[in-house]
Amino acid sequence: MSRQLKKPAKPEEPDLLPAMGLFTILIPMLLSMAAFSKLAIVEVNLPERSMMQMDNDTPPEPDQQALNLSLAITGDYLVIGARGGFQPNVYFKEMWTFRCKSDAKLVTYSPDDVKAAVDGGHGPKCKDGSEMDKEKYLYEIETIELWAINKESEEDPGRVLWAVYTNGGTAEEAIADSAYVDGNNNFLMAPGEGAMGLNPPSALKKPSAGADLATLTPNSARKLKPDVAAKNLIHPLSAYDLIAKDLIQIHTQFIDLDDVDNIIIVANDDTQFDKIIQLMDRAKEAGFSKINLAKLGG
Amino acid sequence: MARRSRKYGEDVPFSITSMMDMMTIILVFMIKNMDAEGQLLTQAENLILPVSTSRVQPKEVSLVVIVDNNYVLVDNAKVIPTEDVLKQEDLLVTKVDSVLKERRAVEQEHALKAGLPADEAGHIVVQIDKNIPYDAMYKVMATCGFAGYTNIAFAVMEKNGGED
Repeated sequence: MSRQLKKPAKPEEPDLLPAMGLFTILIPMLLSMAAFSKLAIVEVNLPERSMMQMDNDTPPEPDQQALNLSLAITGDYLVIGARGGFQPNVYFKEMWTFRCKSDAKLVTYSPDDVKAAVDGGHGPKCKDGSEMDKEKYLYEIETIELWAINKESEEDPGRVLWAVYTNGGTAEEAIADSAYVDGNNNFLMAPGEGAMGLNPPSALKKPSAGADLATLTPNSARKLKPDVAAKNLIHPLSAYDLIAKDLIQIHTQFIDLDDVDNIIIVANDDTQFDKIIQLMDRAKEAGFSKINLAKLGG
Repeated sequence: MARRSRKYGEDVPFSITSMMDMMTIILVFMIKNMDAEGQLLTQAENLILPVSTSRVQPKEVSLVVIVDNNYVLVDNAKVIPTEDVLKQEDLLVTKVDSVLKERRAVEQEHALKAGLPADEAGHIVVQIDKNIPYDAMYKVMATCGFAGYTNIAFAVMEKNGGED
């Protein structure tokens, strides 16, 4: 009886030390296997060897029924060609966005400004006043942007076009991601103010919550939510986006043709590789799965 | 005085439950982010790959050609300075071509030994710095084609680190 009245024994805690040991081994192992930036590939079509060694005197007969789509990039403009004709040039102003090592902030300059600074013995300036290494500044380029320019004539220097973009960054550091289009598939855009239109136009307002908008991505029509509407930004319209819109229209319009999935990207010798990849991305997203590369005038 | 010495003399049980909770959270997070397939492609040093929206992963280990600001490398061995490639007029980069042809011959030999068709087009992945001019890229790509590597893919960094 006296034994029954005894206090129940205190429940013993499970011995967690072996589990801790296991975790301590697993975590460093998984950490060593973690990939913080993923690599992918972009496939490109190359003519077969027999075709590459073909006699230059006997070029193939052009197919009159084919689309023969090409996308050319020069130092000043992008242009789409098909069936021997060309669409209007999409002029652009090239801009380099750097991520400074000193303050980790983004700063954007035109290549001419950067070259002028480097020629003067300085590296491009960061927001905190420090300078980038004038030998290695190219490694700090985060994006090469092509700002679309509205030109009235060849001689006209043109004005930068501005558009409404989704924010792919944070509230502190906004990064233009996808350009909005309205119900008629037109960008929400306007030419900028000041010299060369480098200041955002006051007439272009950010759409308010509840507006019906879409991006160039298929099935992206949406009613703008208040939190998204607040984060949107007005940014120079990318020439890549203008070209992407045209490519989507062409692919949809000529869907019945045999070579509708083919595109040839043509570029100058000095075009940076990054621009080729951006154009290949836009072509793939528009539905052109077979991409060939060629040289301008070569 | 006696009470004090008894109090501090007792063993205080060390509770590792809260540490276990933390470890469990870290472990679950790591397992979620682990790529079970592994990486068939690793980024070369001294170059910055362009960012792309592509999500296509290489299906097999391929020969890698690297073009950075200084050299063209085949399988991590320096073959020719990039400047020399830019200077030459000819589309075919002879030094790269001879190395690639050697590698192609070895690949074909292995394929024959394994009873696989040896005349299939070779696969190659080209890693090019995003600031390299198109001229160098085009010459290297054409050289790969001449050497029999007609399945060419460019290595890129996935946009947003591959997160949707």
